[in-house]
Amino acid sequence: MNDKVLEVKNLTKKFGSPAGEFTAVDNISFSLKEGEVLGLLGPNGAGKTTTIQMLLGVMEQTNGNIEYFGKPFKKFREEILKDVNFSSTYISLPWHFTVKEILDIFALLYEVPDRKKRINKLLQEFELGNMVKKQFFMLSAGEKTRLLLVKSFLNYPKILLLDEPTASLDPEIAVKIREFLKKEKEEYNVSMLFTSHNMAEVEEICDRVIILQAGKIIAEDTPEELTKQISDCEIELKIIEDYKKAVTFLDEKEIPYEKNKYNFKLKMDEKNIADFLALLSKEAIAYEEISINKPDLEDFFLDVIGGKEKYD
Amino acid sequence: MINFNRVFAMVYRYAIYLKHNWDRLSDMFYWPALDLFIWGLTGLYLATLNANHKEYIFIILNGLIFWIIIWRVQYEINVNILSEIWDKNLINILASPLTAWEWVTSLVFVGFIKMIISLTFSATLSLIFYHYNILIYGFYLFPIIVSLLLFGWASGFLVAGFIIRFGAKIQTLAWTGVALFAPFAALYYPLSILPDWAKKVALFVPPSYIFEGMRTMLFKGYFPIDKLVIGFALNIPYLLLSLWFFVFMFNKSKKLGLGRLI
Repeated sequence: MNDKVLEVKNLTKKFGSPAGEFTAVDNISFSLKEGEVLGLLGPNGAGKTTTIQMLLGVMEQTNGNIEYFGKPFKKFREEILKDVNFSSTYISLPWHFTVKEILDIFALLYEVPDRKKRINKLLQEFELGNMVKKQFFMLSAGEKTRLLLVKSFLNYPKILLLDEPTASLDPEIAVKIREFLKKEKEEYNVSMLFTSHNMAEVEEICDRVIILQAGKIIAEDTPEELTKQISDCEIELKIIEDYKKAVTFLDEKEIPYEKNKYNFKLKMDEKNIADFLALLSKEAIAYEEISINKPDLEDFFLDVIGGKEKYD
Repeated sequence: MINFNRVFAMVYRYAIYLKHNWDRLSDMFYWPALDLFIWGLTGLYLATLNANHKEYIFIILNGLIFWIIIWRVQYEINVNILSEIWDKNLINILASPLTAWEWVTSLVFVGFIKMIISLTFSATLSLIFYHYNILIYGFYLFPIIVSLLLFGWASGFLVAGFIIRFGAKIQTLAWTGVALFAPFAALYYPLSILPDWAKKVALFVPPSYIFEGMRTMLFKGYFPIDKLVIGFALNIPYLLLSLWFFVFMFNKSKKLGLGRLI
């Protein structure tokens, strides 16, 4: 995981006339190492799709450089794209074509050497083996997503750009897809740029995460390190008998909380939890249920982008 | 450099598209046949009104059959580009190693094959039902077809430039774009019939020279070479300009992002 297979420097995309200019991607720089899975996160309109479109060469950047395998993308486009592929939930495939016809066309387009073998292997891996004669429009949403993933793996890519690859999949299939992605990464050192709204998935699969907001990188690190930046844990308590005492106690101590009937939700630093519980005990406030949730990537994400409403 | 494996992949893609879209066969056979019957019979009727002018029917058939060349090739270029937009498949192919020139080559090739099929079909029907044989042009048939092909491609890439820039919202141009040139191409009437302003426009429309030359051949038995030469002299720069325009609009569209077209 040392060699950079993708390097993006000062990438900028502006739309509109100079008078009413809108900056969709604002001077971002990042790299992707061999065998690394890099998560690209951000609320809607953060610039993720614009970035991916520029990385695929279907949108021209206003400024900045993109290099794959140490070569400038603009100059070596065909050579580079032989080793790159992508999947996105926002695109489709020829509507009336059968699964086999679609994969044949893309295998020809990418000049896959062992076309039939490769197609069959991937169809089995993605559990589409009995769908070869089905037309694309007849597939379920999950099958369509899986077919797009098969297409993206056809050319033994060294780099994969995956834009929400597991959206619209059943949880069971999504797990299998994640396992497949991890296996490809481990066996073939495939590097991936991965966008998803499923933070648990990002935490599971990504080695590193970049968070974009308004076209700018606002955070970049491993999911673990990002999560560590939030020290507050969430404590949920169910207090029925000593409900009134609990409210008085929390108000007196000025401890912020949210209340829903007998359920109290509090946020506090992990290291203060023991003291807090001891205080409750001292005040003879008994609780029926307790759960302590450690912060995860989603908490960090919501924290840095400024709240759930911005994400929605 | 063009990679012909990738060109073949796209030709295969458009061939399969035809297999799954039988309505597209109507473009190849149904409409040409219908046109031939309606206008062929009209020509026959006109010929009965004036026994000295049996060539009425030949003039009409000639215009119908040879216009197929222009219409077919421009139509194929544009409808196949639109099919990528309709299928939301544009990004899949443009984010592959396929180059714009390889795509253009496949579109040109597919249009050419379908044009040959439609032309052969229409010419055979007209031979069987009206005894009009397009081979009467002999050696000239080849440059006539090439000249009309060049114009078809030029008008095709002109319209394709607008489609790749503005997307499916101007898709109707794929069907109607080339028709704009038809009145000035003087398919069924001599150029002398056109009003003065239209005659001036026709000077810049290469098929007008070809159709005028074909009528000369039908009436006088020879093909004026100068008309062929002028036709080519206009067609070649037009084709180069239209290709430049297509690439210019493609790059302009890329600045806005080709993903917005789907």
